[in-house]
Amino acid sequence: MNVEFIDIVQSLIDGVLYGSTYALIGLGFTLIFGAMEKLNMAYAASSIGGAYVGLGVSVLFSFPLVLIFFIGPIAAGVLSVLVYFCCFRYLPSNNHLAALMASIGGLFFIDEIISHETDGSPLDFPELGIFSEAYFEIEFSDMFLGFRGDLIFVMFASFVAMLFLLYLLYRTRLGLATRAVSQQPIAAQLCGISIHQTNSITFIIAGVLGGIAGCLAAASVGVISPLLVLPLTVKGLIVTVMGGLGSIRGAIIAGLLVGGLESVFLLLRGVNERDIYVFLLLFIFLVFKPNGFFGAEIDRD
Amino acid sequence: MLKVDDLVTSYGLIKALRNVSLEAEKGKLTCILGPNGAGKSTLLFTIAGILKSDRGSIQFLGRQISKMKTSEIVKEGLVLVPENRLVFPHLSVRENLLAGAFSRFSRKDEVEEDVESVYQRFPILKERYLQEAGTLSGGEQQMLAVARALMARPKLLLMDEPSVGLAPKIVNTIFEIIKTLSEEGISIVLVEQNAVKASAIADHIYLLDQGEITFSGSPDEIEDNDIIKRAYLGDITES
Ligand SMILES: Nc1ncnc2c1ncn2[C@@H]1O[C@H](COP(=O)(O)OP(=O)(O)OP(=O)(O)O)[C@@H](O)[C@H]1O
Ligand SMILES: [Mg+2]
Repeated sequence: MNVEFIDIVQSLIDGVLYGSTYALIGLGFTLIFGAMEKLNMAYAASSIGGAYVGLGVSVLFSFPLVLIFFIGPIAAGVLSVLVYFCCFRYLPSNNHLAALMASIGGLFFIDEIISHETDGSPLDFPELGIFSEAYFEIEFSDMFLGFRGDLIFVMFASFVAMLFLLYLLYRTRLGLATRAVSQQPIAAQLCGISIHQTNSITFIIAGVLGGIAGCLAAASVGVISPLLVLPLTVKGLIVTVMGGLGSIRGAIIAGLLVGGLESVFLLLRGVNERDIYVFLLLFIFLVFKPNGFFGAEIDRD
Repeated sequence: MLKVDDLVTSYGLIKALRNVSLEAEKGKLTCILGPNGAGKSTLLFTIAGILKSDRGSIQFLGRQISKMKTSEIVKEGLVLVPENRLVFPHLSVRENLLAGAFSRFSRKDEVEEDVESVYQRFPILKERYLQEAGTLSGGEQQMLAVARALMARPKLLLMDEPSVGLAPKIVNTIFEIIKTLSEEGISIVLVEQNAVKASAIADHIYLLDQGEITFSGSPDEIEDNDIIKRAYLGDITES
């Protein structure tokens, strides 16, 4: 195979654009980890689950398909808070292993329901309308670099969602409560902040972000399948570890990076080997940089 | 104003509080002295609803609060300045103060007024209002912890060893602050190990030892009681 430099740059571009969905998923993991110091393994499952519900409801009631992108995230938010109540809320708060196992249970439960309802086969997911047909080319010192319209939309929508999240976190009373709980839960209670309430809201917000990511990912591929759940879970975890658990900017940067690298691996080594290298990245980070780029930005005393 | 009756709190099988009863009166400074591990922090955490009691009652302004959640207790006006200050390390000084006003649901300008009055009380906090609280010195963090509690407009302020780990000069400042707050009419329950300094400003003193109240009386009565005096003021009577 003869790979030229321009091909690598081109796949990097496609990958980074698509990687914004990984960044969203990583943000969700990181938000929940920041709030509770626990990993919610069911997170990607509830995100894809939300996209399924959005698709199902829209088709069932013959809504305009664009509504999927609103119903999906809302449904994902609801699923996410259900996961909170089933897998976190009533478990002893210092038992991290129990919550981890419970949420892995949640992951497979949601996955099984999706497989059962769809007989395990992929469904067509509406593409992004005019954006899917759009394509831009830029000449850059003798190279022609292409930008897929749908991927640009994916990144744009992801960034809007991120800005909204940052606004919530840093400019609202609710965000102040979330940050207070994540930094010092006892003091937060002593300020009159209810931990359970704040955690539920954190799960809803993370869920909505995941639903947006799930819908965007499915739309840019054009299909949705239960097979999306596990890779998205693993990539979300990788992004969270690379960015540094609890770090918001880390998750964003790592998401784009994983997207880009994955796409280059795909080009160089093919679809069968791609994920091997992505997982290798996880090991490299766990061994040499276990705190990620911005580890312990949100920590506790 | 606060009436604790027959309170028992345990960690697993170990009873940290054994039938503790005490009262704090409105406008007064009530002080609880006791050695390390006596159960002082356990007592305050139980009153504030962070820990749940096994039995006993806690009445605040005539209402039973022993089954209430911390966030509800704060809304009643009972606010704890915890041991080791527990400021939010990565929030700015100002955000720490705003978090302190969380329970109030009051208008923005009202909260801003309180921030201003807290700044007047602690000018150092105004100077550093954008600084992350985790980077403040110990004394500044203690002031912030007190200021944050004041933002809730407490009717009764519980303070857990505010002077611990601070340089003597800062300790004096902190006790000055407590005295001022008390003179302004804020009711205070102060937990301390610095018996001399605490008894100098207290209206009433309880001694807590191994989870039990062993003495209750005015500071003068401690002076008159040789056994107690030797046990608690003994090696630090030089002042
Ligand atoms: N989380 C816990 N688990 C088990 N035992 C605890 C826990 N916290 C406190 N204890 C025990 O309860 C007893 C009372 O502790 P507490 O912290 O209330 O004492 P204290 O009077 O505040 O001490 P200090 O002056 O050192 O702050 C101690 O014997 C302590 O070992
Ligand atoms: Mg203590």
